[in-house]
Amino acid sequence: MAWEYSDKTKELFMNAVQGKPGTHLGEVQDPDGVGEHGSIVCGDAMRFTFRVERHPTDPLQDRIVEAKYLTFGCTSAIASSEALCAILEEGRYTPIESLKVDNAAIVKYLGGLPSQKIHCSVMGAEALQAAVFDWARRRGVDLRELGVDILPHEQEEGRIVCKCFSLTEPYLKRKIRELNLRTIQDITNATKAGGACTTCHHAPGGLQDLLDEVWGRQETAPREAPTQRPPSVGERPELSPYQFAKGIEALIEEYVRPGLRQDGGDVEIVDIKDWIVYVHLRGACAGCVGAGMTLKMMIEQTLKDKLDERIRVIAV
Amino acid sequence: MARDVIYLDNNATTAVAPEVFEAMVPYLTEVYFNPSSMYDAARAAADAVARARRAVADFLGIGSTEQVLWTSCATESNNTAILGVARANPSRRHIVTTAVEHPAVLEVCKDLQRSGYEVTFLPVNSDGMLDVRDFIRALRKDTLLVTVMHANNETGVIFPVDELARLTKETDPAILFHTDATQSAGKLPLNLKGSLRHVDLLSFSGHKLHAPKGVGVLFVRRGTPMKPLLIGGHQQGGRRAGTENVPYIVGMARACTLAAERRSDEERVRALRDRLENGLMERIPSLEVNGRNAPRLPNTTNVAVHYIEGEGMLFQLSAEGICASSGSACTSGSLEPSHVLKAMNVPFTAVHGSVRFSLSRYNTGDDVDRVLEVFPRIVANLRRLSPYWDSERNRPTGRA
Repeated sequence: MAWEYSDKTKELFMNAVQGKPGTHLGEVQDPDGVGEHGSIVCGDAMRFTFRVERHPTDPLQDRIVEAKYLTFGCTSAIASSEALCAILEEGRYTPIESLKVDNAAIVKYLGGLPSQKIHCSVMGAEALQAAVFDWARRRGVDLRELGVDILPHEQEEGRIVCKCFSLTEPYLKRKIRELNLRTIQDITNATKAGGACTTCHHAPGGLQDLLDEVWGRQETAPREAPTQRPPSVGERPELSPYQFAKGIEALIEEYVRPGLRQDGGDVEIVDIKDWIVYVHLRGACAGCVGAGMTLKMMIEQTLKDKLDERIRVIAV
Repeated sequence: MARDVIYLDNNATTAVAPEVFEAMVPYLTEVYFNPSSMYDAARAAADAVARARRAVADFLGIGSTEQVLWTSCATESNNTAILGVARANPSRRHIVTTAVEHPAVLEVCKDLQRSGYEVTFLPVNSDGMLDVRDFIRALRKDTLLVTVMHANNETGVIFPVDELARLTKETDPAILFHTDATQSAGKLPLNLKGSLRHVDLLSFSGHKLHAPKGVGVLFVRRGTPMKPLLIGGHQQGGRRAGTENVPYIVGMARACTLAAERRSDEERVRALRDRLENGLMERIPSLEVNGRNAPRLPNTTNVAVHYIEGEGMLFQLSAEGICASSGSACTSGSLEPSHVLKAMNVPFTAVHGSVRFSLSRYNTGDDVDRVLEVFPRIVANLRRLSPYWDSERNRPTGRA
């Protein structure tokens, strides 16, 4: 699968990794807002910081003048981070205005993103929101009073739906509404939820249920019933497995080990399954192919004679 | 050989050897006949297929040629082997495989699991190796098939299939043993009369050993109960219907002979790989080689670079004209990092940062030097951007 990135995406990435002037890698000194999103476990993570030109009396008139990022992620994650910072600096927005810079704005700036990479732009928008919250806290701005309807801690609080990427029900429901996600594939592209083990797709309370709750129940394919396996019917052994194993241990200790030890070798019982005894020859015996074969026969014969003629010995 | 790129992705596919191409051309242009046709002219095509079968049989160390089945690729060989023996042996419903197989085996096993089979996916340790105790424990009375790859495509780790096949057959001769030898064919000796004499089925493809894409082999030991996957023709004794792909089959045979003739290249390739691997470890901190303590293919190195993501490394390598691959989630087409590295418990700070370099006999010391020159810079570039790396002190920030 070759890269399907736009020229703008490739250019922003290469400029960033080469640290060209005008790029935004790093952290703002004494930032006014810090936001993080993602984690190294999930494959991408961003730490976003900005500085505002503070208004002397009205924090709502602060303007974002500098934005920087540190990003662990793929080509498009880094390009999305660059795009976010560039959009903010070009726009000279107030932090509240900056909230309109959503993932669609980042995708537009990049000249498009492959659908399976949309989550990279969502990460940028999420980190920005978190940073605006941080700014509001530092500047004593009450976002709720302004009608900004975002719950800053919903990421951490709430039932986890996608365990692979630690995404919660409130977060996923908000994203389903905000980004008009209609299918499980849409959700995965935008948030990564359900993109790994896929068990949350149709589990109770999983992604399909969230879609149904938000959009109303759609017609879906019937769910597969879990397959019932008949219980296995084992044969009844004459000796219990415990007694059988104990018997073998005792016979090897009494008849086999003493001889081997005289020659600087030893034998280990690796496993016993049904009538098969798996043994590992150690020390001097292990290196000698001929002796190994003879020993195997000797051990097998001993066990056959003294315990059960069905016993077989396999050297491991 | 075209040298506009430095090609270090030979576990993905290889360049067609000039000797192979040459051998194929007459069967595209002059001897284009259907080998099943009756007229005299078609005889040359049928003879070519028969000679190719002999060459591949020699390559595998076996006498009788009817045990060689032509397929279109290793994926078809694997599907045929697993599904074919499942259909022929309906009373046994258990399969043993490993967690690190290629999807062409893993997904077929999972598909059988969905239709009621039980499958044991054996774990590996952090070096990518199997525990023989787990293996023994997995064998059951109703075990139908053991399918264990010879060498891993991502890490190059070699499994002791000779030993595992012997243990299987000594435990229960009715259990069938299949190995996917796609990565080892041409890189390790394959002797199905010698050390691999307990193996019943073995798959490989042409395009990993300098034949073209579109041709594969399935070795089926005589007497192995197996039903065909492709039906609708008498070709190959009805075991795989479809007109034989004569030019590609000729190419496959030539590639096998060439690999056997040039076995001595192995040591040169190994020396190049070791120089690359050691050079990277010397130059880049927080870098590990996945599977380093296990026996490995001589051509493969899979490095885990901590605190950065693989795709950004590949992208920059590509800009330098260097072809490699990664097990990172962003390059896999899914959102999960490589199932092989996950099974090996590669630490979470590095599982997204793996890069695989796989060499061939066409690589040179200059190729290795070039990677050693540019790769440390590529890593440093991304680490400057990473929230988890302190570039000033050249060490992790401790945030992860």
